[in-house]
Amino acid sequence: MSGDGGRVYVGNLDRSAKRAKDLVMGKLRMGRAVDWATAFSLWPVHLTTSCCGCEFAATWSPRFDAEQHGALPWVGARQTNMILIEGTVSKKMACAVRVTWEQMPSPKFAIAMGACAIDGGIFYNSYNIVRPWEIIPVDVYIPGCPPRPEAVARAIIELQRKIRQKRVVSKWIEEGWRPDKEYVAPKEDPCSWWRG
Amino acid sequence: MDVEELKKRIEEALGGLVKGIEEGKGFIDVIVDLDNIVEAASRLKELGFDHVKSLTVIDYPKENRFRVIYHASSYLDEELAKYIVGIGADVPRDNPRMPTLVYVWRGVEFQEREVYEFFGIEFTGHPDMRPLLLVPQLAEAKPLRKEFIVKEEPIIRVKPPTG
Ligand code: SF4
Repeated sequence: MSGDGGRVYVGNLDRSAKRAKDLVMGKLRMGRAVDWATAFSLWPVHLTTSCCGCEFAATWSPRFDAEQHGALPWVGARQTNMILIEGTVSKKMACAVRVTWEQMPSPKFAIAMGACAIDGGIFYNSYNIVRPWEIIPVDVYIPGCPPRPEAVARAIIELQRKIRQKRVVSKWIEEGWRPDKEYVAPKEDPCSWWRG
Repeated sequence: MDVEELKKRIEEALGGLVKGIEEGKGFIDVIVDLDNIVEAASRLKELGFDHVKSLTVIDYPKENRFRVIYHASSYLDEELAKYIVGIGADVPRDNPRMPTLVYVWRGVEFQEREVYEFFGIEFTGHPDMRPLLLVPQLAEAKPLRKEFIVKEEPIIRVKPPTG
């Protein structure tokens, strides 16, 4: 793309984008800045699947104030880059979780909160739950039933540390996929009950 | 008003419909015939029990019956508001159908749907008899019946993937 007497020519956009990326990430070494910026703008999407959601709300309340870590719950999946699974995921909710995850732009991260999200918790052995790690790739787990707001804040800090030390985001942008984590595809379609 | 008086008032209101009254600590259950339950419920409503707090079912596979119990109470009548009265009936297990009480107490609509998916009891005349919470495939298995076997999971599992 170049300006010429007020006219703009549009070339091969893919190639231009790749060259711009190479310039920014390679020559200018913006990677660290990207990691740093992403670590302090982790915006979780509002998707309250279970009772842990109360602690999630308390975490962002004035007393614990998780906004000081640069995290701000936001409404739409398309404007967020983190998903905080709040406790139990029932079979119907698994569909919503996966659809929300697919809608979020990458680089995106997941935190699983509560005993239920780790291995069922009090719903262990139940016929109606799904483990979140079966449907999306989870970065940090928070044990507890429910975890205290401090624990949630700790998980956010842990995720920030991971992003900055392992340089997850810059590598993700450079390579086009996430190098340090397997892509999780659900074994069976969580929305099959709905599509019929 | 004490429990004895309440019992007397209920018996008066229901007349000959009462099959038995079961009493426990803090509650009374009025058992009626399945055919009379709509009539009995409307009479209870006239007495002042204006809403249903919960709807529950007990499964007795050996006796081949379900017991369906509606727990009714009152908001407007201060005397009755201290009590919760159960009105119930026995539903045969091999033909689980009963008349709906939606037109007596509007609030039971969703609870009857829930009973329908968990126990497979069909409420005839219900305006919207679909599963409510479960996915349809699971609702067909009727998970709260006694014969539904939950797949047991071992206590020790492989660790979930970390990274
Ligand atoms: S871990 Fe506890 S608080 Fe959290 S969803 Fe499960 S039961 Fe609820």
